[in-house]
Amino acid sequence: MAAMFSQNPLMNGPNYSFNQGPSTASAGNKEHSFYPYTDNGGSTLAISGSDFTIIAGDTRSTSGYNINTRYSPKVFKIGGTTASQDDATLVLSVVGFAADGEALKERLDAIVKMYRYQHGKPMSVKACAQRLSTILYGKRFFPYYVTAILGGLDEEGKGAVYSYDPVGSYEREQCRAAGAAASLIMPFLDNQVNYKNQYIPDSGVGHELKERERIPLGRNEVEDLVKDAFDSAVERHIEVGDGLQMLIITKNGIEEIYKPLKKD
Amino acid sequence: MNHLPQAWGRPRDDVYGPYDASYLQSSHGPNQHTQSPIVTGTSVIALKFKDGVVIAADNLASYGSLARFTDVKRLRKFADSTVVGFGGDVSDMQYLDRLLISLDTEEAYSSSGHTLNAKNLHTYLAKVFYKRRSDFNPLWNQVLVAGLDGEKKPFLASADLLGTTFTSPSLATGFGAHLAQPLLRKVAPDEEAAAKLTREQAIEAVKESMKVLFYRDARSLDKYSIAVVTKDGIDLKEDEQLEKQSWAFAEGIRGYGTQVN
Amino acid sequence: MDTLVAQYSQSDYDREQYSQDEQMELYQPEPSLSLRFAMPPIAQPSAWLRAATDDNANPNCPIKIAHGTTTLAFRFQGGIIVATDSRATAGNWIASQTVKKVIEINSCLLGTMAGGAADCQYWLAYLGMQCRLHELRHKRRISVAAASKILANLVYSYKGMGLSMGTMCAGVTPSEGPALYYIDSDGTRLAGNLFCVGSGQTFAYGVLDAEYKYDLSETEALELGRRSILAATHRDAYSGGFINLYHVKEDGWVKHGFNDTNPIFWETKLNKGEFSNVTSELV
Repeated sequence: MAAMFSQNPLMNGPNYSFNQGPSTASAGNKEHSFYPYTDNGGSTLAISGSDFTIIAGDTRSTSGYNINTRYSPKVFKIGGTTASQDDATLVLSVVGFAADGEALKERLDAIVKMYRYQHGKPMSVKACAQRLSTILYGKRFFPYYVTAILGGLDEEGKGAVYSYDPVGSYEREQCRAAGAAASLIMPFLDNQVNYKNQYIPDSGVGHELKERERIPLGRNEVEDLVKDAFDSAVERHIEVGDGLQMLIITKNGIEEIYKPLKKD
Repeated sequence: MNHLPQAWGRPRDDVYGPYDASYLQSSHGPNQHTQSPIVTGTSVIALKFKDGVVIAADNLASYGSLARFTDVKRLRKFADSTVVGFGGDVSDMQYLDRLLISLDTEEAYSSSGHTLNAKNLHTYLAKVFYKRRSDFNPLWNQVLVAGLDGEKKPFLASADLLGTTFTSPSLATGFGAHLAQPLLRKVAPDEEAAAKLTREQAIEAVKESMKVLFYRDARSLDKYSIAVVTKDGIDLKEDEQLEKQSWAFAEGIRGYGTQVN
Repeated sequence: MDTLVAQYSQSDYDREQYSQDEQMELYQPEPSLSLRFAMPPIAQPSAWLRAATDDNANPNCPIKIAHGTTTLAFRFQGGIIVATDSRATAGNWIASQTVKKVIEINSCLLGTMAGGAADCQYWLAYLGMQCRLHELRHKRRISVAAASKILANLVYSYKGMGLSMGTMCAGVTPSEGPALYYIDSDGTRLAGNLFCVGSGQTFAYGVLDAEYKYDLSETEALELGRRSILAATHRDAYSGGFINLYHVKEDGWVKHGFNDTNPIFWETKLNKGEFSNVTSELV
């Protein structure tokens, strides 16, 4: 039945007049090649508030149905002066192929450190966001197989979240979920953060109904939302679980919270 | 560019040729460069305990389903402080071994008394693997690095042909990830539990896992190497024999092949 | 002799690491101005890239790149109207409903985004740089014709590599008046009065062609742009979200809002009596 709506020739959905379904390469000797990607599962989530940003990710790493480890962080502090990143102001989360994620993180970190060294000040999120986009696009023809989210505080001290596709298109957003359970978490966020499809009761009849007014969420509410989102994702996605790592960026620095998730 | 609504912006067959899914072969397929794994080693398993790490691998190098070489040592020492266990292609293992020897020599010349610890070595290996995969010329291995980190705490981590890395209180490669890892995780479900294990308990758990692997992994051998890495050094035994095997369980197996009752 | 010595005094294993130069380049805070992209080291990079990213031919492809779209732009007596939707899809997944598909190249030039979101963002930003350089070199603003040609030549040089973009450049300059160009990743570059680009182009053309006149007033023109996008968001599943409206005039562009389609749809239906195919009874 899904095929009926998929508009997809592969699944025999409705099609256009001339054939454009995927045909395999012409017969003869097929050249096989090494496939340089794998998917390590997991999910990440970021929400920005009026004076903070929370970026979270689960800590499970998978290959196929195996769990590699129950603690492999996906959320990283970027651009501190030391290896411990105590004075970092930016946070990057990467989900997808972990080795690409690691390479991307190290590259961005080195660049932001170099910037601080050359300019004598930490990089702004806006500048870092643009630079991350060009890094990703630099591998347009051999992409980093990752979905990245960058978080920090903007020039006015407001929370900022930038989300990316694997080749570097980016956008500043209020909230974003990425990775394996993005399709489970994102609709929840639309409803609970942006109040999508929420209306004020008795404010009108039919199309006259007024939308619920959007108010910036407080830090505790957002933390609860993140925990609820992950607890729910763990229930319904096999690649998500084990632990929840949350980095909270405020003007006083970055706070890290770890909370166990279900390990089944 | 394709202008039909459903295919909008996607490549057009008359420009790019037909879609060729063979580029999406899984990593087990052969490769256009020189190699796919030919002579291979099976699982490596390792477990942390309170003072160090136990790591083991059998001494077999298979050629497909043929048990070709039965005396291949797959645990390699580095700088007398770290053990690297190799799974996957044996020729690539030997290349990496030479690479590590040269690295050790270079380090000995260029630094005064300071050596690379297990954590440093793992980072190095992961970068070598990742560069090779980015060059589409992979080193077809999954390795476990066992030793101590900069704070002299037990360190155990994995790196593979794609450059993927992770650490855990217990690790197992290949078939071991399916068979041994659950047994090891029962002994050390988390770091806290691993930090309470004694050396004897850890060795016992690893030996038991090697036995289970030999029961069910058709590409395994009852002769194996086992190493214990602590701050006092490496205790490597390369000619161990599996002990106290019990094939009594085989009696209970029913339902395979031609056997009907 | 030196090279010979270097060859034999060097470690055998140097190729296991990136060279000093490669490392320096990787960690430059400013992106390099030369256009060099990492390539998969294989015989057919574009076929390989397609296998990994073409979610139409293979819905299970591992890397899903964000796609769009309905965009339109048309010339009229008062300048140029540029309107877009705001949906980005990756396969059947709606990746975003808030994409800014009108890219502000500078205060007088607009670009639109259809096809690969990253391709459009990156190359239109690059075009912005080139336009600024032109201004600095020649002490006057670049013409739309020249700007669009920079982009067309650029994408043509990457033809066959897998770029995917269908873009329009709109601007008003003293020499040209209102000028509108269509450029796509095949290298096509066309001047014209009216273009619709994207998966929803046919629906937008339907409305736009029916009502379009060069002598439209400003309000009429804005309303026509909005209404055409609305039609496309209604009938094309890959379009939706918000309507992004711009008006380009001689002294620069003016933004006319980023508005949710849903209330606009109901207003159009209930107050103007259009979309009578849709029932308004809530049973």
